[in-house]
Amino acid sequence: MVIRIAAVGDVHLDEDVVGRFRPALEELPECADVLLLAGDLTRHGTEAEARCVAQEFGGLAVPVVTVLGNHDHQCDQVPQVVKVLEDAGITVLEGDGVVLDCAGGRLGIAGVKGFGGGFAGRCASDFGEPEMKSFVRTTNESAERLGAALRSLDCDMLVALTHYSPVPDTLVGEPLEIYPFLGSYQLGQAIDSAPTALAVHGHAHAGTERGTTPGGVRVRNVAHPVIKQAYSVFHVGDQLDTDQVSPIGGSGSQRSWS
Amino acid sequence: MTSDQAGGAAPPDEYVEAEIQRLLTEDPAVAEQGITVIRREDTLVLYGEVESAHRREEILRRVAERFPDVPISSDIGVIRAQAPTEIEQLP
Repeated sequence: MVIRIAAVGDVHLDEDVVGRFRPALEELPECADVLLLAGDLTRHGTEAEARCVAQEFGGLAVPVVTVLGNHDHQCDQVPQVVKVLEDAGITVLEGDGVVLDCAGGRLGIAGVKGFGGGFAGRCASDFGEPEMKSFVRTTNESAERLGAALRSLDCDMLVALTHYSPVPDTLVGEPLEIYPFLGSYQLGQAIDSAPTALAVHGHAHAGTERGTTPGGVRVRNVAHPVIKQAYSVFHVGDQLDTDQVSPIGGSGSQRSWS
Repeated sequence: MTSDQAGGAAPPDEYVEAEIQRLLTEDPAVAEQGITVIRREDTLVLYGEVESAHRREEILRRVAERFPDVPISSDIGVIRAQAPTEIEQLP
């Protein structure tokens, strides 16, 4: 079983960017079963910007599944943004999941935006001022919803989609001081609570592509400034050509599908 | 604290750096969180990557408008958006 997953995050669409991704997106049916968008689709989260996303990522020949990012919340128009995306056929996840029938099997995708908070030993606690407790509870609730969604899906392969990072590995390159604003260990814990095959996130523009959760789940930061291409493609499965397999912690991508 | 320290003096570079970093995110005309501001001797260097040449120009215009006396240099790129030529296989 092999499922082909394309993914990118942080595309920050507005009128000035419409059309830049489209030529590469038209090639998707040849190389992927699904396209995942890891949040920050827009600059300010306006309905007008969402229409740019719909124009760029709508009407593709593969299913498109997304979570929102922090930028997509900036103008408090989340319901309008979600409606525009869904009207364009894009599935928007937030604490829920979807199962897609792919040639290689049933692919389950669970998604949340996620939130910050930091990583084990260096994280915020649910203690003190109401603002701090609210911050940490937002993180906890988001992670709980991700874990529940992952565990609820009946599928052959499970993928977690977030905007914020579940591990510090993929933040390497960012200033250490801002790690708590880039992700939280609770998301990793949620991913490890289910038989997840791959976790995909964005948000960390100066981060690193590859990491793993403490439970051994592969994590990929697909923020556009990190991958520097329209999308990355992952072939996930148990019948791969082992000569071409990238080991965990491997140093680079293997040759193409040619 | 002496009274002449309380007002009038130009803010230290570190505060300018902080203000520019916040402007890059909070100014609606910019809204970029991925631009790094580095203090280098007499100049502030902005580097990072954005989605269009227009956004790069807008960053420089807004910073120059708000801080006309601060020498700024820039090394901001536009992110490539071509189709990938390689895949990653995950067992």
